[in-house]
Amino acid sequence: MKQPLRLNAEDLSKMPRASVDTRFDGVAVHYEGVWLTEVLKKAGVPSGVELRGKWLTGYLLMEAEDGYQVIFTLADLDPMFGGNPVLLADAANGKALSGAEGPFRLVAPRDRRGARSVRMLKKIEIVLLRK
Amino acid sequence: MSRTIHLLCGATCRTGLRKFALLLAAAAALCAQDFDWRLRPRFAPPSVPADNPMSAEKVELGRRLFYDSRLSGNGTQSCATCHRQELAFTDGLAHAVGSTGQLHPRSSMSLVNIAYAPALTWADPNLSDLAPQALAPMFGTDPVELGLKGMEQTLLARLRKEPIYQSLFPRVFPQSADPFTVENVTKALAAFERSIISTRSPYDRYRYDGVEDAISAAAKRGEKLFFSGEKAGCFQCHGGWNFSGPVRFAGGPAVEAEFHNTGLRAFYKAPNNGIERHTGRPSDNGRFKAPTLRNIVLTAPYMHDGSILTLEGVLDHYASGGKAIPNKSPAMRSHKLTPQQRADLIEFLKTLTDVELLRDPRWSDPWKAQR
Ligand code: HEC
Ligand code: HEC
Repeated sequence: MKQPLRLNAEDLSKMPRASVDTRFDGVAVHYEGVWLTEVLKKAGVPSGVELRGKWLTGYLLMEAEDGYQVIFTLADLDPMFGGNPVLLADAANGKALSGAEGPFRLVAPRDRRGARSVRMLKKIEIVLLRK
Repeated sequence: MSRTIHLLCGATCRTGLRKFALLLAAAAALCAQDFDWRLRPRFAPPSVPADNPMSAEKVELGRRLFYDSRLSGNGTQSCATCHRQELAFTDGLAHAVGSTGQLHPRSSMSLVNIAYAPALTWADPNLSDLAPQALAPMFGTDPVELGLKGMEQTLLARLRKEPIYQSLFPRVFPQSADPFTVENVTKALAAFERSIISTRSPYDRYRYDGVEDAISAAAKRGEKLFFSGEKAGCFQCHGGWNFSGPVRFAGGPAVEAEFHNTGLRAFYKAPNNGIERHTGRPSDNGRFKAPTLRNIVLTAPYMHDGSILTLEGVLDHYASGGKAIPNKSPAMRSHKLTPQQRADLIEFLKTLTDVELLRDPRWSDPWKAQR
């Protein structure tokens, strides 16, 4: 990555929108936002058959406002590989995310535990590990 | 079988069958008359054991029993003595005191949202149903709480004499030839306890109704600290909408209760040795349930042994990271909070109080008006 891609709420609102319904702890929440794969496309990251070579050593380092970090690999998210759907959410139940949830968070509905559904997401860094 | 299907499509029923269909429909409506939990929108109801369905009358009977001092051997105590509504169903003491004056080794616990708990009491992985739990305070001897050991028949005879029970017990338990049984007493108590659901705090209005000014700016900063994995990290054990870790709900997965050692003691001695008492595993020494933090400003003193008097003291304990012992949870890490951050965190905890709960007539003493 040469140029960092900056996205604000308005940019996200113009991208293809998606939603995820969760029922964590028995509370139904309708999250809205953009699939991470769309964000990667916008950032120029290859996908599908193009996701090969050094890109297969790539991962996303997610960082929250407080410094909390988790990773997802590029292949894990790609529909031709792991196909793990992860939403970059900016709204819940029709309202913009706020406080300890927002303004952006990840929602990884296939994870059984919530620890990678990072709240207060601030930065996504693309890292290629191949030496 | 085919007849049932036929009956269901009312329009094609012949007249003879129609009456029967209406009757069936009325019966079905009665059976399906779901208990009104008065939940907030989008919140699932708790799971209810198949052998103890909820009904408004059963809850009413349970409420009467919960507040009835005939449930103690010497007539001095009821469940409500140690679970007081105005204190979010705790007792304000470091150690509960039983009807004979015996000190309980542990502190009383809030009963709010208890219907969702995957395990009951401070540290018992095998106890999750409320009805059998009620036997412990009633008949237990180590320690004596209500002191009813060996007095089953005396208790039931006392209850039989009460006109209100004479009408309620048979209505609530119509299948029983004699509805006055200890099992039915515990079932009614359990139904009442299940009905105590609270999600009406200022924080709920902020988080679930989107009312931005329901909590202060300081509380919002405190919320971020609470949910920060890098700072206070409280949510790692007191997570979810009940601030108690994983919950059970109707139609949900069979979650396991979680127990953590917070390094409160260098060594936890029996009977306050956590779930080791039940599992016998030394690695379980000091592991306790993370109780709900709802209404926490009302439930001092804190921890299983009431050893911390204030929330400030609790924050000191967590900031210290706890005693350096092998069993300590990896989520316990020492951290520094500025005076401002401590104040913010406490402001946040204050927003978890549901004042309506404290005076809601559904859960108040039903005998008071009569006394
Ligand atoms: C003498 C005081 C006292 C009385 C009376 C009493 N309790 Fe308790 N209650 C406690 C204490 C102390 C605990 C914690 C017990 C433990 O960890 O072993 C507790 C725990 C509980 C819990 C578990 C709560 C949780 O968060 O897991 C329930 C449920 C409960 N009591 C219900 C009742 C019922 C029902 C009655 C009446 C039949 C009753 N209690 C009578 C002191 C009392
Ligand atoms: C490692 C898991 C863990 C973490 C992290 C944690 N707690 Fe706890 N909490 C517990 C357990 C377990 C108990 C009961 C411990 C005991 O009694 O020995 C408890 C008890 C409490 C109590 C007393 C509850 C009562 O009813 O007496 C309060 C208040 C509390 N925690 C607040 C917090 C706050 C605030 C934070 C963040 C600074 C936090 N906790 C972080 C597990 C945790």
